[in-house]
Amino acid sequence: MALVELRNVIKDYDSNGEKIRALGGVSLAIEPGEFVAIVGRSGCGKSTLLNLAGAMDFPTGGEVLIDGQITSAAGDSTLTELRREKVGFVFQSFQLLHTLSAVENVELPLLLAGRDSARQTAADRLSAVELAGLENRMPHQLSGGQMQRVGIARALVHSPKILLADEPTGNLDNTTGARIMELLVRLTRENQTATLMATHSPEAAAVADVVVTMRDGKVVDIKRK
Amino acid sequence: MSGRLKLFWRLMVKPLGREPVRTTLTIAAVALGVAVVLAMDLAGDAATGSFHSSLETLSGQQDFEITAAGGVPEEIVGKLAELPYDWRITPRIEGFALVADSKRALPLVGLDLIGVAGRIPLPLTKPEALDKIFDANQSSFEDLAKQDSVWVGQSLNKTCGDALELLVNDRALTFTVRGVYPDDAGTGSAILMDMAVAQAALGITGRVDRIFIRIPRGATNSLDEWQRRAQQVLPQGVQLRAAGASTDENRKMLAAFRWNLRLLSYIALIVGAFLIYNTISVSVVRRRAEIGIARAFGASRLQVLLAFLLEAAVIGGAGALLGVPLGRFLATSAVKLMGNTVNALYLSSRPGEITLDPTSAFLAFFTGLFVTLVSAWSPAREAATSAPVEAMARGRVEHSVRVNKTLALGGAAALALLAAAMSRLPPVGGKPAFGYCAALLLVAASVIAIPAFTDAIMRISSRIFSRLLGVEVLLASRSLAGSLRRTSTLVAALSTAVAMMTAVGIMVGSFRQTVVLWMASELPADLYLRPAGSPATDQHPTISLGFSDQLAKLPGVLAIQRLRGYEISYEGKPATLASVELDDSHIEHSSDFLSGSSAESVLAELREKNAVIVSEPFSYKHGVRRRDIIQLALGESRATFRVADVYYDYASERGMILMDRNVLLNYLPDPAPSNIAVFISPGANPANVRAEIERAADRASARILVFANSDLRMQAVQIFDRTFAITYALEAIAVFVAIMGVAGALLALVIDRRRELGLLRYLGASSGQLRKMILAEAGLLGLLSNIAGLCLGIFLSLILIFVINKQSFGWTIRLHWPIAVILSGTSLIWLATVLAGWYPARIAVRLNPVEVIHED
Amino acid sequence: MRTDLRALGALALGFFLPLSLSFAQFQPALPGYRFGFPRDYFNHPDYQTEWWYYTGNLQSLDGHKFGFELTFFRQGVSRDPKQNSAWGLRDIYFAHFALSDLTGKKFFHTERTNRAGPGIAGVSLSLQKIWNGNWSVAWADGEERLTAFADSFALSLALHSQKPPVIHGDNGVSQKSAGPGRGSHYFSETRLSSSGSLTIENRKYSVTGLAWMDHEFFTHQLEANQMGWDWFSIQLDDHTELMLFQIRRKDGSIDPFSAGTFVDAQGRAIHLRASDFQLSPAQDASAAETWSSPVTHARYPVRWQIHVARLNLTLLVTTPLPSQELATRSSFVPSYWEGAILLQGKKNSAAVAGSGYLEMTGYDRPFSVGEF
Repeated sequence: MALVELRNVIKDYDSNGEKIRALGGVSLAIEPGEFVAIVGRSGCGKSTLLNLAGAMDFPTGGEVLIDGQITSAAGDSTLTELRREKVGFVFQSFQLLHTLSAVENVELPLLLAGRDSARQTAADRLSAVELAGLENRMPHQLSGGQMQRVGIARALVHSPKILLADEPTGNLDNTTGARIMELLVRLTRENQTATLMATHSPEAAAVADVVVTMRDGKVVDIKRK
Repeated sequence: MSGRLKLFWRLMVKPLGREPVRTTLTIAAVALGVAVVLAMDLAGDAATGSFHSSLETLSGQQDFEITAAGGVPEEIVGKLAELPYDWRITPRIEGFALVADSKRALPLVGLDLIGVAGRIPLPLTKPEALDKIFDANQSSFEDLAKQDSVWVGQSLNKTCGDALELLVNDRALTFTVRGVYPDDAGTGSAILMDMAVAQAALGITGRVDRIFIRIPRGATNSLDEWQRRAQQVLPQGVQLRAAGASTDENRKMLAAFRWNLRLLSYIALIVGAFLIYNTISVSVVRRRAEIGIARAFGASRLQVLLAFLLEAAVIGGAGALLGVPLGRFLATSAVKLMGNTVNALYLSSRPGEITLDPTSAFLAFFTGLFVTLVSAWSPAREAATSAPVEAMARGRVEHSVRVNKTLALGGAAALALLAAAMSRLPPVGGKPAFGYCAALLLVAASVIAIPAFTDAIMRISSRIFSRLLGVEVLLASRSLAGSLRRTSTLVAALSTAVAMMTAVGIMVGSFRQTVVLWMASELPADLYLRPAGSPATDQHPTISLGFSDQLAKLPGVLAIQRLRGYEISYEGKPATLASVELDDSHIEHSSDFLSGSSAESVLAELREKNAVIVSEPFSYKHGVRRRDIIQLALGESRATFRVADVYYDYASERGMILMDRNVLLNYLPDPAPSNIAVFISPGANPANVRAEIERAADRASARILVFANSDLRMQAVQIFDRTFAITYALEAIAVFVAIMGVAGALLALVIDRRRELGLLRYLGASSGQLRKMILAEAGLLGLLSNIAGLCLGIFLSLILIFVINKQSFGWTIRLHWPIAVILSGTSLIWLATVLAGWYPARIAVRLNPVEVIHED
Repeated sequence: MRTDLRALGALALGFFLPLSLSFAQFQPALPGYRFGFPRDYFNHPDYQTEWWYYTGNLQSLDGHKFGFELTFFRQGVSRDPKQNSAWGLRDIYFAHFALSDLTGKKFFHTERTNRAGPGIAGVSLSLQKIWNGNWSVAWADGEERLTAFADSFALSLALHSQKPPVIHGDNGVSQKSAGPGRGSHYFSETRLSSSGSLTIENRKYSVTGLAWMDHEFFTHQLEANQMGWDWFSIQLDDHTELMLFQIRRKDGSIDPFSAGTFVDAQGRAIHLRASDFQLSPAQDASAAETWSSPVTHARYPVRWQIHVARLNLTLLVTTPLPSQELATRSSFVPSYWEGAILLQGKKNSAAVAGSGYLEMTGYDRPFSVGEF
């Protein structure tokens, strides 16, 4: 069963009273342990798709199912619950809270969800992304790659079934980016997550199991390895 | 130029419109600060200026006034009138009466209406007022001969022929209104009588209260020469001064009081200044990029500085402009509160009309603008001096305040030491200038120490509270510590307000407790009697002699003690001279003296010799100590007295001189007492004795009030509380301004951190958690401010009690901690601060995370 | 009889009428009154109205001519014995003070009102003094000393009476209308040689001249049918004096109680009845006969013809200064003309001249008791 399924999803935005169609009937399904990359130019609807898949937004038309649950039917608290349980986000600009240390950033989803032994789990996750020993560094004391590792550790700290990554290597140099991609693939396999990554880098897309090409809010091509 | 204007408009003014709520809050804070300052100024004028207006209107322009303790012998009027100069002599009787139906206390003025009517022009600033009295349609000279004739102001709503019942001293007297004059909406109102009628009503014989002299206009002789001419017929004890001198004395006496209130009123403005600082700082941080662009396109540093100062000026100007009408409005309430204080502590005055003169309005406006610009200076300068590249560099992160904690704490300690040193310096011109400097330095020390303090507390709170109260508190603590400068400014603002509240609370509480304890020792009698009517501190209505003589013979009365008060002027300052009966062996005295001597030994000295005791404020004001010799003008003579001791007195800020009744009777022979203390025989039922006294008063048709000892104390405490109501009101406004600032700042914080808030939603935070986090920030701000404010407030209270109070008023106040009051006050403030987070929290919850997460 | 008219003047000032309330507290002027001096120079509190009236013509060494008037009134209000305050209203004291600069053609006048109060005004036999503030007459060393101070003028004179006091009327009473008590006790010092100084607008003049004093006290007030009066005090250069007055009634007729007194060089008084003399405004077309007041708009005849048949005396009365009206701004105090006059005429065919004072009342509005 697919962990994330989009059924003919349409998404419109209001921009100064004008309707802009971000997604125009997208259908997609991602299985556990599957790594899907979405490529396309800026504004093609990648981020919108990610937000819909992460229960951050509702579709205008069609349905989004997360682990079998239709998001448009759910309320705010159910969506929050869904995110807490099932979704992890990785961001292009890392989005670490600069006032929190590495380990505190990582444990944040656990704390927000009210889980126990957050600190230990977070430390474990940091080791898993090869950052053992840097737990108490503040974000500004870390390199870009290290920050993104912290971001990935944070995305996976609560063992989500779905991992969503928006241009995870966009702010990194090529070498670092490649290592981050390796890490993402490894973790996808280890944790059997359904991973959906938006990127416009061909190198990044190359590691994916499925590459979905989008243009103007529509899927124009799906390539499977 | 137009380009620059456009730049200014785009960069500085337009953004203000983007955050209407926050801009409004800042403007409102300035407006309130300015309003309070102006209100206190206007109310001060109105509350203290009325004594002047009501009596002076009826005496007109005068050059000299003649007064004496206990009244001026009236023969002097004739002697002055006979001297070969074409001057005008206006004798006056002054008293107070309570209008029975409206319970309004008004000055009762006796003038020589025959002389007034016969002279042209009338000796009035508003001649038409008295002219009306003798309008053929209203009344005639015939009425002057009648013993019941009075003339009243329009504001009493009486017409000719109406009966007017007045309570004068302890008598209810009925008069007939013979004429009505215009009295300026009641502010200058007085009950006017002919001399003979006024003397009879007030029970005065052979004396007048004041004689005015108006020298001929155009006279070439010097004022000194005229003074010498008048002096030749005056006995020793009679004082001749420039007219209005006693009004000036009263004004001077009130100066310290007004000064203190005025300074207290600036607290709201100071709190407002912190908020301006905060607002402009936020503007600068937010518009870092814009500043960089502007600089890159050739804007000079000065232009950037001016742009931000102009932004501040727009906010400050708008606030100050709104503050002026608001101040006028607040003055109406302030004048009532202030009037209570003036009446209780200084002199009877009916608040006058509030007049918003352009000078006060402009002064308040420019003070507001000035404070705004001063507070905006530092962030504006920072914006101007940062390099264009640095400014353009993206980074929403507030550039972290590099707090050198050692240096900051060292500086704070140095300021505190300086404050301690200043608090030991003497007053300047009767004003505790150094005391205020010390207080200001302490506030400055606390402001410097606050970032380090905030940082420390936030560390603790992120460890301890987050474990107890959840991740939201951790995030809140970290967020507050992360924007340390902003947080510190807010804490400084709110803690200053809290500190003032605490300090004044401790002072008033200590004062109150001191008074309560003092009364317990100073009020030994069972019952106290005074004439019915208004109990102003500078009025000494008397109880009829006949009734007071009967009193001692009533069954159950062990002894009575008669007190008599007079208002005098001692070395240019108003003072109260009082005599008390000391020769009754039934009465045990238990007064508290500064020297620590026993009451019996001091009172023995009073009985035997020409000796007096003086109150602590008197001793302080005049530098008179135990064993000093003072000279008093009494009646027609001057006499010297030895100061046997100084006693604690909290009844009035006017200085008191107390002597034995028999001694004073030698100089001022009027035996009618102002108050009587009654001691009940052991075993007699107090309620029965009291009823007996009231029956005796009825028989003698004496209108007196009888207070049981406990009633009197309760009443005194009530008056005390009313007196200090205004200080609480001022603090409440300062706290209110600070809390508005907290709301505004939290709003700014929410807007600046919207990306972070969005992120938290991505990380699984519920909207409830976001709300809790913002409220936690508000709560932490409140907590920090309350802790800092309490610490600062305790130190400030010591300065208030032992330096400012002592130097302004001369009272010894024993320190007392009104813990319940302060705790409830701070809890209330804390609650209000948390509530101030409610609206920002709402905004935080409504943010769309998808929209804000990528904003940068 | 001038007594009563002046009483009217005082009453006009004393608008505390009607006096029915207080009448019973005072005694009427009855025949048989025996004057005694110095006692009768002073106060008679049993009578309601009393005044002391000084007028005169003065001249400085360099020939500058002046007239003066200084008048003290006492009007009884109440004799209630319960009043014990010094400020109690027993009497009201009025005073008028006027200086006529006859050479400089300027007239100065002022007035004041007081009660006795604590020494503000009064009449005292023991102090030998009558005063109202710093206006006073004091008897000392056989002199009467007059002093008065006003804003721009002042007077200080020593008066020596050259004749004994002249008592007017019959048997100690100057009857004013039919009925007992309807008169006054009235006497004059008709020839007071005067010397002293006066000040006008900061200029001081040493002066000498002749003054006249009237003193009356009574209780009964005037009838209601009179309009006003004309009164003359005349000092002739043959060392004789003449006092004449006539009351004008509202119907234009002359009251039969008009009267006068002639004092011969030895000081003997001859009582003149209305039928003994005639007073009439001069019918001389060549000179200005009247003066109109710019303040009250009253027209005063300022040239008079006097004919006393009994003395074979004819006099023409003129004034060096027509504007000697004591106009008052108060609605209570009537305005009147009182000024220095010059006299020329014949007495028993011999030319005679003199100076004096003329008082005219009731020209601006009728006097009527109780209207004020």
